[in-house]
Amino acid sequence: MERQHNSVVRTPLNSVVVQRRSKSKSYRQSYRSCLGAASRLGLTPALTARRLNTSRRAPKSHNITDKVDPEQLTLLLKTEWKLSYVTPLYQFRHTQLKSYSRQLSAFIAAEKQQGLAVDAEGSQSSFRVSFSVVQGMTETADDAETVLIQIHSKPMFAKQDDPQKLVWSGWLACINGNPDYLSSLSKDFICLPLFGSSGPEVLTTLVKSWFQQMFDCCFGPLEISHTSLQWLVALWTNCHTESNIQHLRMIWTLPVTPPLQITYTVDAQDAWELWSSVRKDPEEESEGGEEVEEGGSIDLKEVMRFMQGLKNHFYRHFRLDLSAGSLQQVSTALGSAKYSGRIKVSSDGKNCSQSFSQDTFLLTHTRKDKCCTNIFFLSF
Amino acid sequence: MSLLKPFSKLPGLNTANILLVESEEQFQQSLADALVEETAVTVNVRLAKSLPLPMENEESRPRIDLVVFIINLTSELSFQSAEASLKYLDPGYFLGKVCFMVTNARKASAPTERLDAVRKLAASLHCPLLFAEDQTPDGVANATERLLTILKVSAGLVPMATALYLSNLTRCTVPPDIDQPSFD
Repeated sequence: MERQHNSVVRTPLNSVVVQRRSKSKSYRQSYRSCLGAASRLGLTPALTARRLNTSRRAPKSHNITDKVDPEQLTLLLKTEWKLSYVTPLYQFRHTQLKSYSRQLSAFIAAEKQQGLAVDAEGSQSSFRVSFSVVQGMTETADDAETVLIQIHSKPMFAKQDDPQKLVWSGWLACINGNPDYLSSLSKDFICLPLFGSSGPEVLTTLVKSWFQQMFDCCFGPLEISHTSLQWLVALWTNCHTESNIQHLRMIWTLPVTPPLQITYTVDAQDAWELWSSVRKDPEEESEGGEEVEEGGSIDLKEVMRFMQGLKNHFYRHFRLDLSAGSLQQVSTALGSAKYSGRIKVSSDGKNCSQSFSQDTFLLTHTRKDKCCTNIFFLSF
Repeated sequence: MSLLKPFSKLPGLNTANILLVESEEQFQQSLADALVEETAVTVNVRLAKSLPLPMENEESRPRIDLVVFIINLTSELSFQSAEASLKYLDPGYFLGKVCFMVTNARKASAPTERLDAVRKLAASLHCPLLFAEDQTPDGVANATERLLTILKVSAGLVPMATALYLSNLTRCTVPPDIDQPSFD
Protein backbone atom coordinates (compact mmCIF):
# COMPACT_ATOMS: atom_id res chain seq x y z
CA MET A 1 0.00 0.00 0.00
CA GLU A 2 1.13 3.54 -0.56
CA ARG A 3 0.26 4.89 2.84
CA GLN A 4 1.62 3.44 6.02
CA HIS A 5 -1.34 3.13 8.30
CA ASN A 6 -1.01 2.83 11.99
CA SER A 7 -3.22 -0.16 12.35
CA VAL A 8 -3.54 0.04 16.10
CA VAL A 9 -6.88 1.56 16.84
CA ARG A 10 -8.24 1.98 20.28
CA THR A 11 -11.59 0.37 20.68
CA PRO A 12 -13.99 2.65 22.53
CA LEU A 13 -15.40 1.32 25.75
CA ASN A 14 -19.05 1.77 24.97
CA SER A 15 -19.98 0.05 21.82
CA VAL A 16 -22.91 1.07 19.74
CA VAL A 17 -25.74 -1.29 20.38
CA VAL A 18 -28.71 -2.21 18.32
CA GLN A 19 -31.90 -0.33 18.92
CA ARG A 20 -34.57 -2.62 20.17
CA ARG A 21 -37.07 -3.19 17.40
CA SER A 22 -40.74 -3.44 18.19
CA LYS A 23 -41.59 -5.62 15.22
CA SER A 24 -39.97 -8.99 15.39
CA LYS A 25 -37.72 -9.41 12.42
CA SER A 26 -37.34 -12.74 10.85
CA TYR A 27 -35.15 -14.77 13.11
CA ARG A 28 -36.63 -17.77 11.42
CA GLN A 29 -33.50 -18.18 9.36
CA SER A 30 -31.32 -18.68 12.34
CA TYR A 31 -33.94 -20.67 14.20
CA ARG A 32 -34.11 -23.25 11.44
CA SER A 33 -30.41 -23.42 11.20
CA CYS A 34 -30.07 -23.78 14.95
CA LEU A 35 -31.45 -27.26 14.93
CA GLY A 36 -29.51 -28.53 11.98
CA ALA A 37 -26.28 -26.68 12.35
CA ALA A 38 -25.90 -27.10 16.06
CA SER A 39 -23.68 -30.09 15.60
CA ARG A 40 -21.69 -28.49 12.82
CA LEU A 41 -20.94 -25.32 14.71
CA GLY A 42 -17.54 -24.28 15.77
CA LEU A 43 -18.41 -25.53 19.21
CA THR A 44 -17.40 -29.02 18.14
CA PRO A 45 -14.97 -30.81 20.42
CA ALA A 46 -12.02 -30.47 18.09
CA LEU A 47 -11.91 -26.72 18.49
CA THR A 48 -12.40 -26.46 22.19
CA ALA A 49 -9.80 -29.12 22.85
CA ARG A 50 -7.24 -26.41 22.55
CA ARG A 51 -8.47 -24.78 25.67
CA LEU A 52 -10.99 -26.86 27.48
CA ASN A 53 -11.97 -30.45 27.96
CA THR A 54 -14.38 -31.84 25.48
CA SER A 55 -15.87 -34.42 27.72
CA ARG A 56 -15.96 -34.69 31.39
CA ARG A 57 -16.35 -37.53 33.78
CA ALA A 58 -19.84 -37.40 35.22
CA PRO A 59 -19.41 -36.57 38.86
CA LYS A 60 -19.72 -39.13 41.53
CA SER A 61 -21.04 -37.67 44.68
CA HIS A 62 -19.75 -38.66 48.01
CA ASN A 63 -20.24 -37.46 51.46
CA ILE A 64 -17.83 -34.66 52.11
CA THR A 65 -18.34 -34.49 55.84
CA ASP A 66 -16.45 -37.74 56.13
CA LYS A 67 -13.32 -35.91 55.12
CA VAL A 68 -13.79 -32.27 56.02
CA ASP A 69 -14.53 -30.79 59.38
CA PRO A 70 -18.13 -29.50 59.28
CA GLU A 71 -17.28 -26.28 61.08
CA GLN A 72 -14.69 -25.38 58.50
CA LEU A 73 -17.10 -26.37 55.81
CA THR A 74 -19.68 -23.86 56.98
CA LEU A 75 -17.09 -21.14 56.59
CA LEU A 76 -16.79 -21.95 52.92
CA LEU A 77 -20.43 -22.35 52.10
CA LYS A 78 -22.98 -19.68 51.33
CA THR A 79 -20.46 -16.94 50.71
CA GLU A 80 -19.84 -15.46 47.36
CA TRP A 81 -16.20 -15.82 46.43
CA LYS A 82 -14.36 -13.73 43.90
CA LEU A 83 -11.94 -15.96 42.04
CA SER A 84 -8.41 -15.29 40.86
CA TYR A 85 -5.74 -17.54 39.54
CA VAL A 86 -2.35 -17.80 41.23
CA THR A 87 0.94 -18.89 39.78
CA PRO A 88 2.83 -21.47 41.83
CA LEU A 89 4.09 -20.29 45.21
CA TYR A 90 7.77 -20.44 46.00
CA GLN A 91 8.68 -22.03 49.33
CA PHE A 92 5.27 -21.92 50.87
CA ARG A 93 5.24 -24.32 53.73
CA HIS A 94 2.13 -25.68 55.32
CA THR A 95 4.09 -26.05 58.57
CA GLN A 96 4.84 -22.36 58.95
CA LEU A 97 1.30 -21.07 58.94
CA LYS A 98 1.59 -19.45 62.35
CA SER A 99 4.53 -17.34 61.33
CA TYR A 100 2.74 -16.43 58.12
CA SER A 101 -0.21 -15.23 60.19
CA ARG A 102 2.00 -12.98 62.26
CA GLN A 103 3.80 -11.60 59.25
CA LEU A 104 0.61 -10.87 57.37
CA SER A 105 -1.00 -9.08 60.30
CA ALA A 106 2.14 -6.98 60.75
CA PHE A 107 2.11 -6.20 57.03
CA ILE A 108 -1.52 -5.12 57.09
CA ALA A 109 -0.99 -2.98 60.16
CA ALA A 110 2.01 -1.33 58.54
CA GLU A 111 0.14 -0.66 55.32
CA LYS A 112 -2.81 0.78 57.17
CA GLN A 113 -0.62 3.12 59.13
CA GLN A 114 1.05 4.52 56.07
CA GLY A 115 -1.82 6.85 55.46
CA LEU A 116 -2.41 7.88 59.03
CA ALA A 117 -0.55 10.62 60.83
CA VAL A 118 -0.06 9.19 64.29
CA ASP A 119 -1.68 6.19 65.82
CA ALA A 120 -1.76 6.58 69.59
CA GLU A 121 -3.44 3.35 70.63
CA GLY A 122 -1.50 0.75 68.76
CA SER A 123 -3.73 -2.24 69.14
CA GLN A 124 -7.09 -0.55 68.73
CA SER A 125 -7.61 -1.30 65.09
CA SER A 126 -5.16 -4.09 64.72
CA PHE A 127 -5.96 -7.04 62.56
CA ARG A 128 -5.66 -10.59 63.65
CA VAL A 129 -4.91 -12.95 60.82
CA SER A 130 -5.23 -16.67 61.02
CA PHE A 131 -4.04 -19.20 58.49
CA SER A 132 -5.49 -22.63 58.76
CA VAL A 133 -5.53 -25.76 56.72
CA VAL A 134 -8.79 -27.28 55.61
CA GLN A 135 -8.00 -30.95 55.51
CA GLY A 136 -9.74 -33.29 53.20
CA MET A 137 -10.68 -31.13 50.25
CA THR A 138 -8.08 -32.62 47.96
CA GLU A 139 -8.97 -35.29 45.48
CA THR A 140 -5.66 -36.72 44.31
CA ALA A 141 -2.43 -37.40 46.11
CA ASP A 142 -0.60 -34.62 44.31
CA ASP A 143 -2.88 -31.83 45.44
CA ALA A 144 -1.69 -29.48 48.12
CA GLU A 145 -3.99 -28.97 51.06
CA THR A 146 -6.38 -26.05 51.02
CA VAL A 147 -5.31 -23.07 53.07
CA LEU A 148 -7.91 -20.82 54.63
CA ILE A 149 -7.05 -17.26 55.61
CA GLN A 150 -9.22 -15.22 57.91
CA ILE A 151 -8.85 -11.67 59.08
CA HIS A 152 -10.57 -10.54 62.22
CA SER A 153 -10.75 -6.99 63.36
CA LYS A 154 -12.64 -4.85 65.76
CA PRO A 155 -15.23 -2.67 64.10
CA MET A 156 -14.62 1.08 64.12
CA PHE A 157 -16.70 2.17 67.05
CA ALA A 158 -16.52 -0.94 69.19
CA LYS A 159 -16.03 -0.91 72.88
CA GLN A 160 -12.92 -2.34 74.44
CA ASP A 161 -14.40 -5.70 75.29
CA ASP A 162 -16.16 -6.45 72.06
CA PRO A 163 -14.82 -9.54 70.33
CA GLN A 164 -13.19 -9.22 66.96
CA LYS A 165 -15.35 -9.97 63.99
CA LEU A 166 -14.46 -11.69 60.78
CA VAL A 167 -14.00 -8.99 58.17
CA TRP A 168 -12.31 -10.85 55.36
CA SER A 169 -11.72 -14.42 54.42
CA GLY A 170 -10.01 -16.15 51.57
CA TRP A 171 -8.67 -19.48 50.55
CA LEU A 172 -6.08 -21.02 48.27
CA ALA A 173 -6.83 -24.40 46.86
CA CYS A 174 -5.83 -27.02 44.37
CA ILE A 175 -8.28 -29.81 43.70
CA ASN A 176 -7.85 -32.41 40.99
CA GLY A 177 -4.76 -30.75 39.68
CA ASN A 178 -3.28 -32.02 36.47
CA PRO A 179 -0.65 -34.58 37.52
CA ASP A 180 1.58 -33.89 34.52
CA TYR A 181 1.69 -30.24 35.34
CA LEU A 182 2.21 -30.75 39.04
CA SER A 183 5.08 -33.12 38.48
CA SER A 184 6.69 -30.72 36.05
CA LEU A 185 7.08 -28.07 38.74
CA SER A 186 10.34 -27.94 40.59
CA LYS A 187 10.36 -29.12 44.18
CA ASP A 188 10.35 -25.69 45.82
CA PHE A 189 7.09 -24.68 44.26
CA ILE A 190 3.66 -25.47 45.55
CA CYS A 191 0.75 -25.15 43.20
CA LEU A 192 -2.38 -23.71 44.74
CA PRO A 193 -3.79 -22.14 41.65
CA LEU A 194 -7.19 -21.01 42.78
CA PHE A 195 -7.69 -18.10 45.13
CA GLY A 196 -11.10 -17.08 46.41
CA SER A 197 -11.72 -13.96 48.43
CA SER A 198 -14.69 -12.40 50.11
CA GLY A 199 -14.59 -9.08 51.89
CA PRO A 200 -13.43 -5.52 51.34
CA GLU A 201 -11.37 -4.96 48.24
CA VAL A 202 -8.70 -3.08 50.21
CA LEU A 203 -7.88 -6.14 52.27
CA THR A 204 -7.91 -8.36 49.20
CA THR A 205 -5.28 -6.24 47.48
CA LEU A 206 -3.20 -6.16 50.66
CA VAL A 207 -3.26 -9.93 51.00
CA LYS A 208 -2.40 -10.35 47.34
CA SER A 209 0.54 -7.95 47.51
CA TRP A 210 1.83 -9.72 50.61
CA PHE A 211 1.69 -13.04 48.82
CA GLN A 212 3.41 -11.56 45.81
CA GLN A 213 6.22 -10.23 47.96
CA MET A 214 6.64 -13.33 50.06
CA PHE A 215 6.24 -16.11 47.56
CA ASP A 216 7.03 -14.47 44.23
CA CYS A 217 3.74 -15.35 42.64
CA CYS A 218 1.29 -13.48 40.45
CA PHE A 219 -2.40 -13.04 40.86
CA GLY A 220 -4.74 -12.49 37.99
CA PRO A 221 -8.46 -12.19 37.49
CA LEU A 222 -10.29 -15.34 36.60
CA GLU A 223 -13.40 -15.11 34.55
CA ILE A 224 -15.69 -18.04 34.12
CA SER A 225 -15.97 -18.35 30.39
CA HIS A 226 -19.14 -18.73 28.46
CA THR A 227 -18.44 -22.38 27.73
CA SER A 228 -17.69 -23.11 31.38
CA LEU A 229 -21.00 -21.61 32.41
CA GLN A 230 -22.72 -23.87 29.93
CA TRP A 231 -20.86 -26.85 31.39
CA LEU A 232 -22.12 -25.83 34.82
CA VAL A 233 -25.69 -25.69 33.56
CA ALA A 234 -25.42 -29.25 32.32
CA LEU A 235 -23.46 -30.65 35.24
CA TRP A 236 -25.71 -29.14 37.89
CA THR A 237 -28.75 -30.46 36.09
CA ASN A 238 -27.07 -33.83 36.01
CA CYS A 239 -26.88 -33.76 39.80
CA HIS A 240 -30.60 -33.38 40.12
CA THR A 241 -31.25 -37.03 40.94
CA GLU A 242 -28.81 -37.03 43.80
CA SER A 243 -29.55 -33.66 45.30
CA ASN A 244 -32.52 -31.60 44.30
CA ILE A 245 -31.46 -28.44 42.54
CA GLN A 246 -34.93 -26.93 42.95
CA HIS A 247 -34.59 -24.61 39.98
CA LEU A 248 -32.20 -23.73 37.21
CA ARG A 249 -31.84 -20.02 36.78
CA MET A 250 -29.85 -18.40 34.02
CA ILE A 251 -29.29 -14.71 33.47
CA TRP A 252 -28.67 -13.59 29.92
CA THR A 253 -27.91 -10.12 28.66
CA LEU A 254 -28.82 -8.93 25.23
CA PRO A 255 -26.93 -6.10 23.55
CA VAL A 256 -29.76 -3.73 22.80
CA THR A 257 -30.55 -0.23 24.04
CA PRO A 258 -31.80 -0.02 26.71
CA PRO A 259 -29.90 -3.13 27.85
CA LEU A 260 -32.08 -6.14 28.28
CA GLN A 261 -31.41 -8.63 31.02
CA ILE A 262 -33.33 -11.88 30.92
CA THR A 263 -33.71 -14.16 33.91
CA TYR A 264 -34.69 -17.56 32.64
CA THR A 265 -35.80 -19.92 35.39
CA VAL A 266 -36.53 -23.54 34.61
CA ASP A 267 -38.19 -25.91 37.00
CA ALA A 268 -35.78 -28.58 38.15
CA GLN A 269 -37.86 -31.53 37.01
CA ASP A 270 -38.35 -30.11 33.52
CA ALA A 271 -34.64 -29.40 33.20
CA TRP A 272 -33.87 -32.92 34.28
CA GLU A 273 -36.25 -34.41 31.73
CA LEU A 274 -34.74 -32.34 28.94
CA TRP A 275 -31.24 -33.32 30.03
CA SER A 276 -32.00 -37.00 30.21
CA SER A 277 -33.66 -36.93 26.81
CA VAL A 278 -30.57 -35.26 25.37
CA ARG A 279 -28.40 -37.96 26.87
CA LYS A 280 -30.59 -40.81 25.81
CA ASP A 281 -31.05 -39.91 22.13
CA PRO A 282 -27.70 -40.94 20.72
CA GLU A 283 -27.83 -44.20 22.65
CA GLU A 284 -31.15 -45.06 21.09
CA GLU A 285 -29.83 -44.27 17.66
CA SER A 286 -26.83 -46.51 18.06
CA GLU A 287 -27.15 -50.28 17.94
CA GLY A 288 -29.64 -51.51 20.47
CA GLY A 289 -28.30 -53.74 23.15
CA GLU A 290 -25.42 -51.53 24.22
CA GLU A 291 -25.39 -51.07 27.90
CA VAL A 292 -25.75 -47.64 29.30
CA GLU A 293 -22.72 -46.74 31.33
CA GLU A 294 -23.45 -45.77 34.83
CA GLY A 295 -21.87 -42.42 35.54
CA GLY A 296 -20.37 -42.26 32.07
CA SER A 297 -18.71 -39.25 30.61
CA ILE A 298 -20.57 -36.20 29.43
CA ASP A 299 -19.62 -34.88 26.04
CA LEU A 300 -19.53 -31.25 25.01
CA LYS A 301 -22.00 -32.03 22.24
CA GLU A 302 -24.60 -33.10 24.77
CA VAL A 303 -24.10 -29.89 26.70
CA MET A 304 -24.56 -27.87 23.53
CA ARG A 305 -27.68 -29.79 22.59
CA PHE A 306 -29.09 -29.16 26.05
CA MET A 307 -28.40 -25.44 25.78
CA GLN A 308 -29.89 -25.36 22.31
CA GLY A 309 -33.03 -27.03 23.62
CA LEU A 310 -33.37 -24.39 26.33
CA LYS A 311 -32.85 -21.60 23.81
CA ASN A 312 -35.37 -23.07 21.37
CA HIS A 313 -37.96 -23.28 24.09
CA PHE A 314 -37.39 -19.66 24.96
CA TYR A 315 -37.61 -18.68 21.32
CA ARG A 316 -40.86 -20.51 20.84
CA HIS A 317 -42.48 -18.50 23.63
CA PHE A 318 -40.87 -15.11 23.37
CA ARG A 319 -39.46 -14.91 19.82
CA LEU A 320 -36.11 -13.85 21.20
CA ASP A 321 -33.07 -15.80 20.16
CA LEU A 322 -30.75 -16.04 23.14
CA SER A 323 -27.82 -16.82 20.84
CA ALA A 324 -27.61 -13.10 20.19
CA GLY A 325 -26.91 -12.49 23.84
CA SER A 326 -24.46 -13.84 26.34
CA LEU A 327 -24.88 -15.95 29.44
CA GLN A 328 -23.86 -14.06 32.55
CA GLN A 329 -24.90 -16.14 35.50
CA VAL A 330 -26.04 -19.64 36.33
CA SER A 331 -27.54 -20.54 39.66
CA THR A 332 -29.27 -23.50 41.20
CA ALA A 333 -29.87 -24.58 44.75
CA LEU A 334 -26.38 -26.08 44.67
CA GLY A 335 -24.63 -22.81 44.00
CA SER A 336 -24.19 -20.00 41.56
CA ALA A 337 -21.51 -18.88 39.16
CA LYS A 338 -21.15 -15.54 37.45
CA TYR A 339 -19.26 -14.58 34.34
CA SER A 340 -17.26 -12.03 36.32
CA GLY A 341 -15.63 -14.83 38.28
CA ARG A 342 -17.75 -15.06 41.37
CA ILE A 343 -19.00 -18.36 42.68
CA LYS A 344 -21.16 -19.31 45.59
CA VAL A 345 -21.56 -22.76 46.94
CA SER A 346 -24.76 -23.42 48.83
CA SER A 347 -25.66 -26.38 50.85
CA ASP A 348 -28.61 -28.51 49.97
CA GLY A 349 -31.41 -26.71 51.68
CA LYS A 350 -33.32 -29.69 52.90
CA ASN A 351 -30.56 -31.84 54.27
CA CYS A 352 -28.58 -30.88 57.26
CA SER A 353 -24.86 -30.79 57.47
CA GLN A 354 -24.42 -34.56 57.55
CA SER A 355 -25.31 -35.18 53.96
CA PHE A 356 -23.43 -32.93 51.61
CA SER A 357 -22.24 -34.29 48.36
CA GLN A 358 -19.20 -33.02 46.63
CA ASP A 359 -18.31 -32.96 42.98
CA THR A 360 -15.12 -31.49 41.72
CA PHE A 361 -14.00 -30.96 38.21
CA LEU A 362 -10.92 -29.82 36.44
CA LEU A 363 -10.53 -27.25 33.77
CA THR A 364 -7.27 -26.64 32.08
CA HIS A 365 -6.97 -23.09 31.00
CA THR A 366 -4.29 -21.66 28.82
CA ARG A 367 -3.45 -18.08 29.30
CA LYS A 368 -2.28 -15.84 26.52
CA ASP A 369 1.34 -15.81 27.53
CA LYS A 370 1.36 -19.60 27.35
CA CYS A 371 1.71 -20.26 31.05
CA CYS A 372 -0.75 -22.86 32.18
CA THR A 373 -2.89 -22.73 35.23
CA ASN A 374 -5.22 -25.35 36.48
CA ILE A 375 -8.52 -24.30 37.77
CA PHE A 376 -11.10 -26.35 39.48
CA PHE A 377 -14.77 -26.01 39.88
CA LEU A 378 -16.23 -26.99 43.13
CA SER A 379 -19.89 -27.64 43.48
CA PHE A 380 -21.81 -29.21 46.23
CA MET B 1 -32.50 -23.31 -4.56
CA SER B 2 -31.63 -19.83 -5.67
CA LEU B 3 -27.87 -19.84 -5.76
CA LEU B 4 -25.96 -16.66 -6.33
CA LYS B 5 -23.82 -17.32 -9.37
CA PRO B 6 -20.59 -15.47 -10.07
CA PHE B 7 -20.36 -15.57 -13.85
CA SER B 8 -23.89 -15.61 -15.12
CA LYS B 9 -23.94 -11.90 -16.00
CA LEU B 10 -21.72 -9.54 -17.89
CA PRO B 11 -19.37 -7.24 -16.00
CA GLY B 12 -19.66 -3.47 -16.14
CA LEU B 13 -16.96 -1.18 -17.43
CA ASN B 14 -14.66 -0.05 -14.63
CA THR B 15 -17.19 -1.04 -12.00
CA ALA B 16 -16.95 -3.36 -9.07
CA ASN B 17 -19.91 -4.73 -7.12
CA ILE B 18 -19.59 -5.88 -3.56
CA LEU B 19 -22.16 -7.57 -1.37
CA LEU B 20 -21.92 -7.13 2.40
CA VAL B 21 -23.78 -9.75 4.40
CA GLU B 22 -24.23 -9.03 8.08
CA SER B 23 -26.81 -10.31 10.48
CA GLU B 24 -26.81 -7.19 12.69
CA GLU B 25 -26.89 -4.72 9.76
CA GLN B 26 -24.74 -2.15 11.51
CA PHE B 27 -21.16 -2.21 10.36
CA GLN B 28 -22.21 -2.74 6.77
CA GLN B 29 -23.78 0.70 6.74
CA SER B 30 -20.63 2.57 7.73
CA LEU B 31 -18.51 0.37 5.49
CA ALA B 32 -20.79 1.07 2.55
CA ASP B 33 -20.54 4.83 3.07
CA ALA B 34 -16.77 4.59 3.07
CA LEU B 35 -16.59 2.22 0.11
CA VAL B 36 -18.52 4.45 -2.26
CA GLU B 37 -16.02 7.25 -1.66
CA GLU B 38 -13.58 5.46 -3.92
CA THR B 39 -12.95 7.50 -7.05
CA ALA B 40 -10.76 5.37 -9.30
CA VAL B 41 -13.42 2.71 -9.73
CA THR B 42 -17.19 2.85 -9.58
CA VAL B 43 -18.05 0.76 -6.53
CA ASN B 44 -21.60 -0.47 -6.09
CA VAL B 45 -22.36 -1.74 -2.62
CA ARG B 46 -25.23 -4.12 -1.98
CA LEU B 47 -26.29 -4.88 1.58
CA ALA B 48 -28.00 -7.98 2.86
CA LYS B 49 -28.88 -9.44 6.21
CA SER B 50 -28.48 -13.00 5.02
CA LEU B 51 -28.67 -15.13 1.92
CA PRO B 52 -30.61 -16.10 -0.16
CA LEU B 53 -31.24 -12.75 -1.77
CA PRO B 54 -34.80 -11.92 -2.74
CA MET B 55 -35.96 -13.22 -6.09
CA GLU B 56 -37.60 -9.97 -7.13
CA ASN B 57 -34.29 -8.24 -7.75
CA GLU B 58 -32.81 -11.13 -9.69
CA GLU B 59 -32.80 -9.39 -13.10
CA SER B 60 -31.82 -5.92 -11.98
CA ARG B 61 -28.99 -7.11 -9.76
CA PRO B 62 -25.56 -6.69 -11.32
CA ARG B 63 -22.86 -9.32 -11.21
CA ILE B 64 -21.52 -9.54 -7.66
CA ASP B 65 -17.73 -9.58 -7.62
CA LEU B 66 -17.07 -10.05 -3.92
CA VAL B 67 -19.24 -11.35 -1.11
CA VAL B 68 -18.15 -10.30 2.36
CA PHE B 69 -19.56 -12.03 5.45
CA ILE B 70 -19.32 -9.80 8.50
CA ILE B 71 -19.34 -11.77 11.73
CA ASN B 72 -19.62 -10.18 15.15
CA LEU B 73 -17.68 -12.40 17.53
CA THR B 74 -19.68 -11.42 20.59
CA SER B 75 -22.85 -12.90 19.18
CA GLU B 76 -23.34 -16.55 18.41
CA LEU B 77 -26.32 -15.67 16.26
CA SER B 78 -24.11 -13.71 13.90
CA PHE B 79 -21.88 -16.71 13.29
CA GLN B 80 -24.78 -19.10 12.84
CA SER B 81 -26.47 -16.78 10.37
CA ALA B 82 -23.30 -16.39 8.30
CA GLU B 83 -22.75 -20.13 8.24
CA ALA B 84 -26.32 -20.75 7.16
CA SER B 85 -25.99 -18.24 4.33
CA LEU B 86 -22.97 -20.01 2.88
CA LYS B 87 -24.98 -22.72 1.25
CA TYR B 88 -26.76 -20.22 -0.99
CA LEU B 89 -23.58 -19.32 -2.80
CA ASP B 90 -22.54 -21.06 -5.98
CA PRO B 91 -19.26 -22.95 -5.45
CA GLY B 92 -17.65 -20.72 -8.07
CA TYR B 93 -17.62 -17.93 -5.52
CA PHE B 94 -15.20 -19.76 -3.30
CA LEU B 95 -12.41 -19.32 -5.83
CA GLY B 96 -11.45 -16.00 -4.34
CA LYS B 97 -14.71 -14.08 -4.41
CA VAL B 98 -15.69 -14.62 -0.80
CA CYS B 99 -14.14 -12.95 2.19
CA PHE B 100 -14.83 -13.11 5.93
CA MET B 101 -14.62 -10.05 8.10
CA VAL B 102 -14.69 -10.36 11.86
CA THR B 103 -15.43 -7.57 14.34
CA ASN B 104 -15.00 -7.32 18.11
CA ALA B 105 -12.24 -9.90 18.19
CA ARG B 106 -10.56 -8.03 21.04
CA LYS B 107 -13.58 -7.99 23.30
CA ALA B 108 -13.14 -10.10 26.38
CA SER B 109 -16.73 -11.25 26.14
CA ALA B 110 -16.09 -13.01 22.85
CA PRO B 111 -15.27 -16.62 23.64
CA THR B 112 -12.10 -17.90 22.06
CA GLU B 113 -13.85 -20.95 20.70
CA ARG B 114 -15.88 -18.81 18.37
CA LEU B 115 -12.82 -17.23 16.78
CA ASP B 116 -11.32 -20.69 16.34
CA ALA B 117 -14.52 -21.78 14.67
CA VAL B 118 -14.49 -18.83 12.26
CA ARG B 119 -10.86 -19.52 11.44
CA LYS B 120 -11.57 -23.13 10.72
CA LEU B 121 -14.49 -22.18 8.55
CA ALA B 122 -12.47 -19.66 6.56
CA ALA B 123 -9.56 -22.07 6.22
CA SER B 124 -11.75 -24.90 4.99
CA LEU B 125 -13.25 -22.62 2.34
CA HIS B 126 -9.87 -21.12 1.35
CA CYS B 127 -11.06 -17.60 2.00
CA PRO B 128 -9.23 -14.68 3.56
CA LEU B 129 -10.15 -13.66 7.08
CA LEU B 130 -9.95 -9.98 7.94
CA PHE B 131 -10.23 -8.41 11.37
CA ALA B 132 -11.91 -5.04 11.59
CA GLU B 133 -12.63 -2.45 14.18
CA ASP B 134 -16.03 -1.02 13.60
CA GLN B 135 -16.43 1.65 16.26
CA THR B 136 -13.99 4.33 15.13
CA PRO B 137 -13.72 6.07 11.73
CA ASP B 138 -10.08 5.00 11.58
CA GLY B 139 -11.08 1.39 11.89
CA VAL B 140 -13.70 1.71 9.21
CA ALA B 141 -11.20 3.39 6.89
CA ASN B 142 -8.70 0.59 7.45
CA ALA B 143 -11.27 -2.07 6.72
CA THR B 144 -12.43 -0.23 3.62
CA GLU B 145 -8.92 -0.02 2.23
CA ARG B 146 -8.35 -3.75 2.62
CA LEU B 147 -11.69 -4.63 1.13
CA LEU B 148 -11.05 -2.37 -1.85
CA THR B 149 -7.78 -4.12 -2.57
CA ILE B 150 -9.47 -7.50 -2.68
CA LEU B 151 -12.47 -6.12 -4.54
CA LYS B 152 -10.42 -4.63 -7.34
CA VAL B 153 -8.71 -7.93 -7.93
CA SER B 154 -11.97 -9.89 -7.85
CA ALA B 155 -13.56 -7.53 -10.32
CA GLY B 156 -10.69 -8.11 -12.70
CA LEU B 157 -9.53 -4.52 -12.62
CA VAL B 158 -5.95 -5.28 -11.64
CA PRO B 159 -3.83 -6.55 -14.50
CA MET B 160 -1.88 -9.79 -13.98
CA ALA B 161 -3.78 -10.70 -10.83
CA THR B 162 -6.86 -12.88 -10.55
CA ALA B 163 -9.11 -13.54 -7.61
CA LEU B 164 -7.99 -17.16 -7.34
CA TYR B 165 -4.34 -16.17 -7.29
CA LEU B 166 -4.89 -13.56 -4.59
CA SER B 167 -6.94 -15.89 -2.45
CA ASN B 168 -4.11 -18.42 -2.57
CA LEU B 169 -1.84 -15.80 -1.04
CA THR B 170 -4.24 -14.37 1.48
CA ARG B 171 -6.31 -17.31 2.59
CA CYS B 172 -6.75 -18.08 6.23
CA THR B 173 -4.75 -20.91 7.70
CA VAL B 174 -5.03 -22.64 11.03
CA PRO B 175 -1.97 -23.91 12.85
CA PRO B 176 -1.69 -27.70 12.61
CA ASP B 177 -1.84 -28.15 16.36
CA ILE B 178 -5.10 -26.31 16.84
CA ASP B 179 -6.74 -29.56 17.86
CA GLN B 180 -4.11 -30.59 20.32
CA PRO B 181 -4.83 -29.74 23.93
CA SER B 182 -1.93 -28.16 25.72
CA PHE B 183 -2.48 -30.39 28.68
CA ASP B 184 -4.60 -33.47 28.71
